[in-house]
Amino acid sequence: MTRQTLNELTLTLKILLRQPGFWIPTVLFPAMFYAFFGAQSSDRWAASVMASFTVYAVLGVGFYQFGVSVAQDRESPFARWQRSLPGGAVAQWIARVLASLVFVAIAVVLVVGMAFLFDRVEVGAAALLRLLGICLIAAVAATVMGIALGSLTSARAAVPIANLIYLPLAYLGGLWVPPIALPSVINSISQWTPTRAMGELSWAAIDGRALDPWHLGLLAAWTAVAAGIAIVGQVLVRRSGLA
Amino acid sequence: MTAPAPPILAEGLAKRFGSVTAVSHIDLELASGQALGLLGPNGAGKSTTLSMLLGLTRPDAGTARIFGAPAGSQTARQRIGATPQLAGFPDQLTPREVLQYTAARYGKSAPVDALVDQFGLGEIIDRRVAGFSGGQVRRLALALAFAGDPDLVFLDEPTTGLDAEAQEGFVQTAEDYVAQGGALVLTSHHWAEIEAICDAITLIDAGETVLTGRIDAIRARAAVSLLSFDLAPGSLPPAWLAARHDGARWHAETPDSDTTLRRMVREDIAFANLTLAPLGLRDLIDRIRQEEAQS
Repeated sequence: MTRQTLNELTLTLKILLRQPGFWIPTVLFPAMFYAFFGAQSSDRWAASVMASFTVYAVLGVGFYQFGVSVAQDRESPFARWQRSLPGGAVAQWIARVLASLVFVAIAVVLVVGMAFLFDRVEVGAAALLRLLGICLIAAVAATVMGIALGSLTSARAAVPIANLIYLPLAYLGGLWVPPIALPSVINSISQWTPTRAMGELSWAAIDGRALDPWHLGLLAAWTAVAAGIAIVGQVLVRRSGLA
Repeated sequence: MTAPAPPILAEGLAKRFGSVTAVSHIDLELASGQALGLLGPNGAGKSTTLSMLLGLTRPDAGTARIFGAPAGSQTARQRIGATPQLAGFPDQLTPREVLQYTAARYGKSAPVDALVDQFGLGEIIDRRVAGFSGGQVRRLALALAFAGDPDLVFLDEPTTGLDAEAQEGFVQTAEDYVAQGGALVLTSHHWAEIEAICDAITLIDAGETVLTGRIDAIRARAAVSLLSFDLAPGSLPPAWLAARHDGARWHAETPDSDTTLRRMVREDIAFANLTLAPLGLRDLIDRIRQEEAQS
């Protein structure tokens, strides 16, 4: 890690760690919701429910951290001043991704820890490693979706809009309630959501099944759409003459 | 051997936002060891000009070079410092942390102790910014402009919200910086501050440079003095003096103070507490612009 990246990472972590409004919902809520709604599942489903809530944890960090920070980049006079300093935006972005991985790691460890401690989930190291890989793929998709959100909304609106998208997406994707328990109409919509793709991939990883190319493709397509929105948003900002 | 490139060389800068012309034509040049006051009414185009010089806004026309490098390039950014605006300052950080972060962006260690002394940050250096007064954030913003030991500093309304002592301290810091070879661009509504610090001014109005030059040259161009005096209640000065009353005293501008004073004595005008001073920069500029408009 370069000194510039370390400098940016230190600043980003200090700002985020001192904002309970950020880390309580993103880091603690997934474990708390797991304890409320996911734990005490039957043995057959326990590991899958744990996997669902790890994906839910990953999703929150991407939506909130990147949704808000990208919107702030556009509006905050301090962020604007930072762009007058030497050193590039690359270090700043690498630091953001690393910081998000720190929060993702804590949130995932809390969910898995709760599952192991309170729900007696038994999963081997190989399954956990596969799940970790899916979490990283989901983190990439959630980050790009967060950037797209931040590109379209104001900093003030980013959090409420993130809530409006992220919570229904989690439900629709079957991350809170197993897809089998969703009403049939909802379940048919669910098949097309990025969160369902994330969920299916995580369940396959934890069960040791092969990953379905359809779910990988669906997630890639949603990520590409989000990337397109983010690029259009950035082009519009540049056209406005402010970048 | 070629001469080193000047800190600022900007030619024909122009910028539109949609249908609004923020800057239509600005030329600027600044040498090392000089301070330039960028003046103009609100909405004149000062902030857009600064933004283009900092490389934050891309001009639609014209070029801006900082020490010979394009504004906004890494080479340019390595040599400049600027004050951030007060709004949106991250509340979670302490001044020490922001200073260290800023200096690290320049690849340097922050001279925290020196900056604490220069900008009076001692009591707040390890407190989080949340809850700071406007003056305290302003002092931090000024310190940040100097944290990377830059060769050119842009200061936007640097003393707004500062108490008198802090204002004096800032003027001294700015003078020392320029005396040591630094170049400085200052925007301010405090004309006395501009006169105290700057060698030259550029006046912008409606996005165009309307007056630019060294302050001493501008003074020489309109050598006018200001007579200020009291009159007995109910008395009025003669019309030829064209004096104005500011609620406390009478003031009259004159290009030849000796002749004017002799005539006032000859005509038995009962003035008291008379003072004679050079015309303030603001009045001087107004006079030059009026003369230009009439001619």
